[in-house]
Amino acid sequence: MCSIGEDDFGDEGGTHAMVAGSVPSGIDLSPGECSKCDISSDELFQLNFRTPECRDCFLAYVRHKFRAALGAAKVLPRDAEVLLVVDGSAESLVLLDMLYYAQTQNTFKRLHCSARMVYLEDQPVQGRDPADLESLEALSKRYEAFEFYVITLGLPVGSLKLLKDYSPVAQESNELIQKLSQLRSLTSRQDYLQQQRKNLIASVAQKLHCSHVFNSSISVDLATQLLTSIALGRGGSAALDVALLDDRLAAGIKLLRPLKDLTEQEVQFYVHAQRLQPLLMASSRYGQELGDAASLQNLTSAFVANLQKNFSSTVSTVFRTGGKISESTHPEQAKCNHCQSALDVELSDTLLAIEYSRSVSEAGVRLNEAIEDPEIISKRRMKLNDELCHACSSIEADFKNGS
Amino acid sequence: MPISCKSRCGNRAALKRPKTGDALCKECFFAAFEAEIHHTISSSNLFRRGEKVAVAASGGKDSTVLAHVLKLLNERHDYGLDLVLLSIDEGITGYRDDSLETVKQNRDDYQMPLKILSYEELYGWTMDRIVAQIGRSNNCTFCGVFRRQALDRGAKLLGVDSIATGHNADDIAETVLMNILRGDTARLRRCTDIKTGGGEDSIPRVKPLKYSYEKEIVMYAHYKKLVYFSTECVFAPNAYRGHARAFLKDLEKVRPSVIMDIIYSGEQLRFKDTVKKPVRGICTRCGFVSSQQPCKACVLLEGLNRGLPKLGIGKKSKGDRMIAKQNQELALRERANLVKNDF
Repeated sequence: MCSIGEDDFGDEGGTHAMVAGSVPSGIDLSPGECSKCDISSDELFQLNFRTPECRDCFLAYVRHKFRAALGAAKVLPRDAEVLLVVDGSAESLVLLDMLYYAQTQNTFKRLHCSARMVYLEDQPVQGRDPADLESLEALSKRYEAFEFYVITLGLPVGSLKLLKDYSPVAQESNELIQKLSQLRSLTSRQDYLQQQRKNLIASVAQKLHCSHVFNSSISVDLATQLLTSIALGRGGSAALDVALLDDRLAAGIKLLRPLKDLTEQEVQFYVHAQRLQPLLMASSRYGQELGDAASLQNLTSAFVANLQKNFSSTVSTVFRTGGKISESTHPEQAKCNHCQSALDVELSDTLLAIEYSRSVSEAGVRLNEAIEDPEIISKRRMKLNDELCHACSSIEADFKNGS
Repeated sequence: MPISCKSRCGNRAALKRPKTGDALCKECFFAAFEAEIHHTISSSNLFRRGEKVAVAASGGKDSTVLAHVLKLLNERHDYGLDLVLLSIDEGITGYRDDSLETVKQNRDDYQMPLKILSYEELYGWTMDRIVAQIGRSNNCTFCGVFRRQALDRGAKLLGVDSIATGHNADDIAETVLMNILRGDTARLRRCTDIKTGGGEDSIPRVKPLKYSYEKEIVMYAHYKKLVYFSTECVFAPNAYRGHARAFLKDLEKVRPSVIMDIIYSGEQLRFKDTVKKPVRGICTRCGFVSSQQPCKACVLLEGLNRGLPKLGIGKKSKGDRMIAKQNQELALRERANLVKNDF
């Protein structure tokens, strides 16, 4: 059977094809003359689609991306209190370094906000060694202007401590770990954990009186997030999952993603230019060790990583698609109890079709003798969980089966 | 221990429904599968009594099951529809000629009239000849663009009120992914619609199998012993769609409900006001639906007839340059001829 459909042809003509092409990875810096300031230097930073430039010109360019993201959208009010989530990854250190730099500028260029940082200790959940306190302390020392807090994922916000007062406690279990163990599939566990992380961050921000939270996702993370949200049935709220500003956090706290336009290469170069030292343990996500085929999230990251390797321009297309969508909601619409996204379950024919399938499977050949119309049964079932969005009710359904 | 059917009909389960994970016996599966399609048709008001509906038939599993189920439901629930089969013969030796035999078998089995339209009679070109001209790359562009219009032409010829196509849930989910991968917001907007077109000058297309899983369609065809044709086209497969398809199949293995979830996501997507919307119009040359002037089919055909098969492939400006160059050469030759004639 031919599977070519009308959707395979663009207005420009021709089948759309993913253009094969890869971005050279790794850092390979050669000496030469900067094409911008004409000063020769030992290390020229050659980004894709840009001419080689010296360290200073490169830093000015990347830092501008960060400032432009915040400035153009006017999302950060003057003198806002900001909470920076540091997980030790290269991206989070870049964000930290950029913010630090922006604050140490002269009055004219300074970013007017005061920032604190928080490290989420996920050792008990991930089941690995506790954070390397020495590296954290080194980090705290380098950026002394920022207060550095630590909290363990799964513990109440009351356990938030300054790094200097913090000592790791080996933990066997907490409420979050128990909840996670009740979920049958890794897909649900990862999805649930992501929501819980956000909730914890919001509580920390609230406790520290921060109105804004900075998250260090870069373009490829957001491309992955967009496809993941689509696969989880979170299409209606996917726009907020990848937007600069996400306002679904509790107490009106706003989550910002000021690095959303950065590429992996820019992060790599920045880390090199500023001699940053990403923490090793940040390299794996929860459940990643179980393999690509263990969950929808793992599969999607593997898919995007493969695209990045072989069709790198497709990744930026996906990311830019994320920039074109908006949230499907109007103000008076009810919100999901779990993820705070707008609820629109009741209006969907597709969700009705899913419930209808279940009802008619149960009725089978005796469908005609059924006392009640399966459509009515389906609609009633859809109403049972009317405080959760579709994706969150999938998590909930996974709970019941597991316990 | 044998598993018994979920519906408690007393039979042993013969299969596990991919869509819900329920174990069912054959008869209960048929009942559920058909009831769902009936529900899709009635809840979305796809058809009205007395309408004439063309079933786009390729001889493959989707269109065969569609024709079978539509005929069955039309009788069972008295839709009052006049069903006809509409096939397009692209002129691909070793592929379409064989699959058309299957369609003819369907015509006899279901007692439905069949109309076959060929690229040869519509455009003066068969796919075999087009491939001889353009080679193995980009040939699917011609086939797809021409087929879309050929269906419209056929529908007009038959005077039908709508065209039913065999797109299943997997196809739609895959298209959502594909359109995200290439940032095509115009198609992302409409690819989940169960009914497209249907303005003043176009014939609507409907997808009654929108919520039917491909796996279940195959099961249904298998257990009902329906005759269908299952060979890949002899020309190049579409690598792009293949990529999205492979991804979707992997996702489905992890969580079968992902297909419906992706369709739901696709439906929930909204776009910023700044995103351009396509305007559907009518091609000034051929009078069929198009979002550009002239329509793609006309451009491709012009390219073939001018001996510039690459004309409609790639950017329009490139095509314009090709035409200008050819016109210039023709004019030069004409002038040379004039000079010769003077002697």
